[in-house]
Amino acid sequence: MLKQAYVTLALAVVIALSGCGGSQPEPSQDPVAEAQENRPVVALIMKSLANEFFKTMEDGARAHQSAHPSDYELITEGIKDELDVNRQVQLIEQMVARGVDAIVLAPADSKALVAVCKRAQDKGVVVVNIDNKLDAAVLTDQEMAVPFVGPDNRAGAKKVGDYLATQLTAGDEVAIIEGVPSAYNAVQRKLGFEDAMKAAGMNVVTNQSAGWEQAKANQVVSALLTSHPELKAILCANDSMAQGAVSALRAAGKLSSVKVVGFDNISAAQALLKEGALLATADQHGADLAVFGIEYALQMLASGDTPADQETPVDLITSAS
Amino acid sequence: MRQLYNSLGLAAVLALLIAFFGFQSEYFLTWGNFVAVANQIPDALLIAIGMTFVLIIGEIDLSVGAVLALCGAVLGVAMVDWGLPFFVAVPITLAVGAACGLANGLITVRWQLPSFIVTLGMMEVARGAAYMVTDSTTIYIGRPVDWLMGVTVADLSVLFFGALVVAFLAQGFLSMTIWGRGLLALGSNTEAARLSGISTSRLKVLVFVGSGVCAALASIVLCARLSSADPNMGMGYELYAIAAVVVGGTSLLGGRGSVVNTVFGVLTIAILGTGLVQIDVEDPVKRIVTGTVVVVAVIVDYYRGRMTKQ
Repeated sequence: MLKQAYVTLALAVVIALSGCGGSQPEPSQDPVAEAQENRPVVALIMKSLANEFFKTMEDGARAHQSAHPSDYELITEGIKDELDVNRQVQLIEQMVARGVDAIVLAPADSKALVAVCKRAQDKGVVVVNIDNKLDAAVLTDQEMAVPFVGPDNRAGAKKVGDYLATQLTAGDEVAIIEGVPSAYNAVQRKLGFEDAMKAAGMNVVTNQSAGWEQAKANQVVSALLTSHPELKAILCANDSMAQGAVSALRAAGKLSSVKVVGFDNISAAQALLKEGALLATADQHGADLAVFGIEYALQMLASGDTPADQETPVDLITSAS
Repeated sequence: MRQLYNSLGLAAVLALLIAFFGFQSEYFLTWGNFVAVANQIPDALLIAIGMTFVLIIGEIDLSVGAVLALCGAVLGVAMVDWGLPFFVAVPITLAVGAACGLANGLITVRWQLPSFIVTLGMMEVARGAAYMVTDSTTIYIGRPVDWLMGVTVADLSVLFFGALVVAFLAQGFLSMTIWGRGLLALGSNTEAARLSGISTSRLKVLVFVGSGVCAALASIVLCARLSSADPNMGMGYELYAIAAVVVGGTSLLGGRGSVVNTVFGVLTIAILGTGLVQIDVEDPVKRIVTGTVVVVAVIVDYYRGRMTKQ
């Protein structure tokens, strides 16, 4: 009996120690932080931290906070993959319980995150929506408004598509690899690609989702290459999927005959642009996106009212730029 | 007696965890945080209750997360596309969960297949079906389902209490009824159980149906929390549930387990998840710590089992 108690105790100690290993120094032990006890707390909640785009976003936010330490305190959180919507809801609930003043959210789902934002607002927390826009009809149904700070994904995708069209001839077969179809930005990028392809008279033979993920895109594109041997270009709704497409093309020995475009301009994409495997991508300035959202939230906290939605720039990136 | 000791040991671990996080973060030991945790666990708890029974009979159910998504999808379609009221859509949802469980159980028993493979197949089938009925998009249901979140007693949602009631009934079934004892007997030695007159096939099928119904109940909780039916939901829940049940001391080999300990297992993992967020641990560290805890818990369980034999 006594031995069993020791084992239980040992387990508890292991848990406690493993927790200690990762813990940060207490903020209140920091003399600077102590002087800034009253600064607002902003929580930045992102999507998949396995996607470099959000890692860049997090780094941008942290750099901004370090440059303005007296203005606010920053907490950053993300989820394990783009589909873990429930985890994102839980994170918001925990941030509200923790008493943050504002939440800057890049929602993994345009509809399923609305209700929890409403609950946060009801508790007096300022909510700013970045990156992926919450669904307008759902916001109306919940009788609420959330300001959106972010790029026009459709216009950005059209820019990329237009550039691709200049390298193709009308009637060429192209395929679109979408993100998660339940996300607003995925739909907007797909529409932008379609706008450009239609305008240039290209033949969009298929629309497939690869859930924003590289491995899935690799699988999907490998299959497409067999079913559509005449394919001339693949339009991917983010760079992770474009990476997957490029490796599938490389494996099939078709890298030179099929053009690939992406979206996000992550560092891996820059390398692919340089070697010519990727034709173009779009930069929506991920590092600045979170910063815009945070500044917007601070402005709302200071003034108490809601400014209008703010559109952030999207730029076309090619190997020339 | 051993059951009681196990529960006490788990409660001690939980208390230590809570004390540790309370010491590390000023936000952790607040009523608001407690409410947040309590309102987050009903879905995980329901799935874990079903999984407890599956593990007790020495089987496994990998399909629960996907079945949850399919049930949620059906709930969404029933309420939004068919315009059915909540209380009509719920029985349909439960029936879908039961049907998936029935298929798992019947196939496993009829061809004496490993449930690992059968439920792995069901995992793909149910996930595909969830995408099919929702057309791969999130179905927004809104107030007809999220009113459930608003029904609270002292800030705690009725869903939390509902899940506790299910846990209570499940434990009662396991320890007070002849079927419950039959399950434990079945888990430790199928042949002996069969020879002693227990209808082992029927019990097995019943357990899988129970697991499916639990997944359906959990889908209602998740739809209420998200105000929508998301075909991606419940991904990875099967592993979360298995981890929680095993941390609670239920044996993967069958024949031993308790629902009360599963409640502690779910609480341990939930507290760990919340606590690690509250002390601002980086995401990769969170996953490493959680994984370590699960393995350590099983190692402890190994020694516990050996000492009981001695």
